[in-house]
Amino acid sequence: MEFFEAIWDIFSRDATYVIAALFAGLLVLAASGEWVAERAGTINISVEAMLLSGAFVGAIGYDITSSPIVAIGAGAIGGMIIASIQAEMSHRMAADQFVVGLTLNILVFGVAAFLDREIAPDVRLASTWDIPLLSDIPLIGQALFGQPWPFYLIYLVVPFSWWLVFRTRWGLELRAVGENPQSADVNAIDVNKRRRQAIYYTGFTSGLGGAFLILVQIGEFNESIVGGRGFIAIAAVIFGGWTLRGTIAGCVLFATALSFRLSLSGYDINSELLQSLPFLVTILGMAVFAHRVRPPVALARPFVRGLK
Amino acid sequence: MSELDIARTSAPDSAPPSRAARLGEWIGMYTVSVLVALTVSAILVEATGGDWRPVMDALVDGSVQNPGRWGETLGVAAPMLLVALGVVVSAKAGLINIGQEGQLAIGAAFAVYFSFLIGGPGPLNVVILLLAGALGGALWAGVAGVLRFWRGVPEVLSTLLLVTVAGQAVAYGLRKSSLLLADEASRGNRNQVSEQLAPDNRLPRPDIFGNEFPITVYIALVLAAFIAFMLARSVWGFRLRMLGQNQRTAQRAGVSQRQYGMVALMIGGALAGLAGAAMFAGGEFSFGNYRLVPGFSANIGWTGLLVALVARERALAAIPVAFAFAALRTGSGFVAATGVESRITDVIQGLLVLALLMPPAVMFILDRRRVRAVSAART
Amino acid sequence: MTPGDNDSTGADGTALSAPAVELAGVTKRYGSVVACDDVDLSLFHGRIHGILGENGAGKSTLMKVLIGLVVPDAGTITIGGEQHHHLDPMMAAANRIAMVHQHFSLVEPLTVWENVALGESGPLDPNAVRVRIGEIIDQYGLAIDPDARVGDLTAGLRQRVEIIKCLRRDPSVVLFDEPTSVLTPDESAQLFDQLRNVVAAEGRAVVLVSHKLDEVMAATDEITIMRQGRVVERLPTTKADAPSLARAMVGREVSLRSESAALGMTAKPHSVAAIDVESRVVLSIRGASVKDQGGVKLLDGLDLDVRAGEIVGVAGVEGNGQRTLADMLSSLVPLRSGSVSIEGEEISTSRAGAMSRAGVAVIPEDRHDSGVVLEMSIAENLMLVDQSRVSNRGVIDLDEARHVASQMIYDFDVQCDGPNAPMWSLSGGNQQRVVLARELSNDPKVLVAAQPTRGLDVGAIEYISDRLRAAAAEGVAVLLISSELEEILDLAHRIVVMHENRIVGEMPRAGADLERIGLLMTGAGV
Repeated sequence: MEFFEAIWDIFSRDATYVIAALFAGLLVLAASGEWVAERAGTINISVEAMLLSGAFVGAIGYDITSSPIVAIGAGAIGGMIIASIQAEMSHRMAADQFVVGLTLNILVFGVAAFLDREIAPDVRLASTWDIPLLSDIPLIGQALFGQPWPFYLIYLVVPFSWWLVFRTRWGLELRAVGENPQSADVNAIDVNKRRRQAIYYTGFTSGLGGAFLILVQIGEFNESIVGGRGFIAIAAVIFGGWTLRGTIAGCVLFATALSFRLSLSGYDINSELLQSLPFLVTILGMAVFAHRVRPPVALARPFVRGLK
Repeated sequence: MSELDIARTSAPDSAPPSRAARLGEWIGMYTVSVLVALTVSAILVEATGGDWRPVMDALVDGSVQNPGRWGETLGVAAPMLLVALGVVVSAKAGLINIGQEGQLAIGAAFAVYFSFLIGGPGPLNVVILLLAGALGGALWAGVAGVLRFWRGVPEVLSTLLLVTVAGQAVAYGLRKSSLLLADEASRGNRNQVSEQLAPDNRLPRPDIFGNEFPITVYIALVLAAFIAFMLARSVWGFRLRMLGQNQRTAQRAGVSQRQYGMVALMIGGALAGLAGAAMFAGGEFSFGNYRLVPGFSANIGWTGLLVALVARERALAAIPVAFAFAALRTGSGFVAATGVESRITDVIQGLLVLALLMPPAVMFILDRRRVRAVSAART
Repeated sequence: MTPGDNDSTGADGTALSAPAVELAGVTKRYGSVVACDDVDLSLFHGRIHGILGENGAGKSTLMKVLIGLVVPDAGTITIGGEQHHHLDPMMAAANRIAMVHQHFSLVEPLTVWENVALGESGPLDPNAVRVRIGEIIDQYGLAIDPDARVGDLTAGLRQRVEIIKCLRRDPSVVLFDEPTSVLTPDESAQLFDQLRNVVAAEGRAVVLVSHKLDEVMAATDEITIMRQGRVVERLPTTKADAPSLARAMVGREVSLRSESAALGMTAKPHSVAAIDVESRVVLSIRGASVKDQGGVKLLDGLDLDVRAGEIVGVAGVEGNGQRTLADMLSSLVPLRSGSVSIEGEEISTSRAGAMSRAGVAVIPEDRHDSGVVLEMSIAENLMLVDQSRVSNRGVIDLDEARHVASQMIYDFDVQCDGPNAPMWSLSGGNQQRVVLARELSNDPKVLVAAQPTRGLDVGAIEYISDRLRAAAAEGVAVLLISSELEEILDLAHRIVVMHENRIVGEMPRAGADLERIGLLMTGAGV
């Protein structure tokens, strides 16, 4: 009984939604990019590394210029640097995408930790913008429209990702590459190039996510700032059945679960369970829906011309 | 008939270069790759105001040079090798299990739980503890197996997702005195730690030439040889390879993917779990000093996975790779004393892995060029 | 008939405008293999040019030169008076050369219009694509729903999408690469009518690449015959007759029946050694039904008996359940309902290897899919199904394995570098012999041969056909699944026709009526 009272109590507080939105914002940025890459047939375990790199390079950018705009740009570049290694090694050099991804996660963690000791960039949260009227909506107004301004990037990135995949020729080719690379190849589409581009896009949005982390959510940098949320973003894409709508829903759901840890700090709720929830829900979702939800046919299968 | 196999058949005068020349190419490329990785690391250190030479010296001192250090390194290499062997077995069946970090943690937890539950005399307890570890890892991997073979969930995804769940499950167990948490007298003011393993329940650490290391090292080496033999020469290994290379041909020939795949995944998990148990009972200080703590797995699972992949999924090749990776780890302790942040070893390790991925990739491209020179004929 | 003697007159002597495309001296070598050797070819607007040759004669390489996928070592390509040494896909597109692919270039989960738009450039405008598809549909009578998922379409309709895709670019030169393998005889006839339309109405130049004499003779204006990379003959279709074309194609007199069948020359009914109709039924399939995960029927209550010593030919257009039938008999697909019995004993269809253990040997349609392991050696491939002969207490005896393999390589005349050579190093025909050797060596009761001669040269075809006959003569029940009607007419004692995943008709070879078979294949004769 106490549990339900606690839940009710939490859901009637603005702060709950604000915290959940902060968690969700990061996931949404990373997951919408990862969604694009997975539609093209790559699973980037290195999203984690891209987020961390985005956060770190963003922090350096902020440290030098004290400008959030520069920090965001630097973050995007930081994400894309990692994306370039992932893309070139797995889709030009034909190295295994998981090996590259895992290695990058370890490498970036090491580099960030190493350089953070040497450089220690100084970061502050970006200023808060209250969107008139919208931010006055009860409960969710502050969460969605009363955040530090880089938060509003998600309102651009999500529709843009959808538009890219479903309304452009590039997106059409991307989907063809993810579903049937052999056919795409016959149609004179450079399969590995499209996949590389999709990974670069993941790097871009994840880099934004990293900048989001330091400018909107945390306000400082350290190497454990990402803490496995790249994996949760990947889980969200899978949970969402490779649709953008489902992916965003997954992000919101997982973010809510994660934010409970903060919201519920006064109550005795099992924090391990909360932290496992995104993964358990995803696994459960896959187990129940795996036969109905269809991943891109060529997901995680490298393409080499002439080989099946 | 695909483009490639025609190409492969019709190239009498563009035969691949001789064996010796190829070996030379390989050695040359690996040497260059390693040098590049080290150079980049050196540049990073120098650029941040550090000094590279003492770092390198510290790495060598800490991993092999100083008294007792190579024993230490072997002690770290053994669990990595065990994990890697598990990766090799699942990979041969065509399964991508990347959840060893979690399987290892669960294995360690099982070892702790059963060891203290059953108690008993030393040697027997050690055996129980190792078996429990293997069982725990196998069951955890088995979850992914059931999801894969009965519900169609790709094992890449489920094993990955289960890593975090495993870590959290162990952390939860460490908060419950009915599961893993030590009683108050033993843990003092620490709140997530298991009982310490009694001295006579630990794995023996014989001393050889002034170096001591747990007998896990021998176990791992014997297992490496055994697995290499089974995969290459046994009917079971043959059928497993068949499954890995062509699942449909295997199915027709009577190799059930469920049956063999499940066994392969669980062997992989069992070896990771065994590694966890061996870390707990084997006693390198960095592994919690005979206690289970949160984060106990200490990236050994991930590193073991990398070891297998760098060794290109061959059991015997994993032995030297595991040693090299373990050396970086034991060496890193000495790097701190040089004034350079010891995380640099993570960087070196990452760069090394990336570098070691290059030769096969370059070779692959070269081979394809050679093949392409004769490809597309008559299609 | 020397190549290269065509100037401004067509092969039949009528005056023609300048060629749309002219290839001169095109040569392409792959190592020591010459895929195209000094080939000349002229294509004219408003004419259909047939290119005839066996598998491996260099037809496809030549086509790839034309659409810019292959860079020739020598020779020139002249388009509209402009000379090139090679093309790339962009240039080919710019010169309006388009190909209807032999292996489908479609992406199943995408819709028809998305597939049609694939591979073009410029901004994506779905409505413009739909409108254009509508125009093509009206113009050529190729009815199709632009918003249908390609994965839901039949093979015939998918080819229609390929053709629309090609025509959408308004090509001046259209290349058809073996277009009829997925069509019923009726659909083929319809396709050739459409070809005529496209050519006559719009003055496009059309190339029809084929290994079937009949269709080339029926549909083309002139014929170029290739053998081993060379043009061996070029003549107007009106002057062509089947025996001489066949001779030119193969390089010697074609006398053997299965050779003629392989070349698509419809064999006249002949007497196949009658088999004893009272001989025992070995393979018995009753009410076999299979559904995929989406609930789509893949087999629909199929009944079939095959007797000892009998070859039963399963005719039908590809994609009517033949593949599922073979897969089911390979223990690859479990039955939803119905049963399979071998010599009266019911066999589980869901257990791995159960069919093989019960004595069902299979030559699969796609040996790379379920017949061989390319990465393994020949010796290993020969022991895929049964390791008991070469192992001792679970350990493989390498010497014994090599010894057994060497014997089989000798018996089946496999051309290779010995038992340890990797499977991928063999040619298609030799890979097929390895499959055959393995499957026949286990004393099968039933032999399922699915498209056993596809993609093989005439010599290999003859060999495989002989082996099938010999197996039947030894009392094996043979189930021959083929989309080449000629092959079935040549080999089978009894013919059944599959349509929409069921057997819709049956007749003895002696009473086979081509027209009726054709109707049954379309489902019309049911």
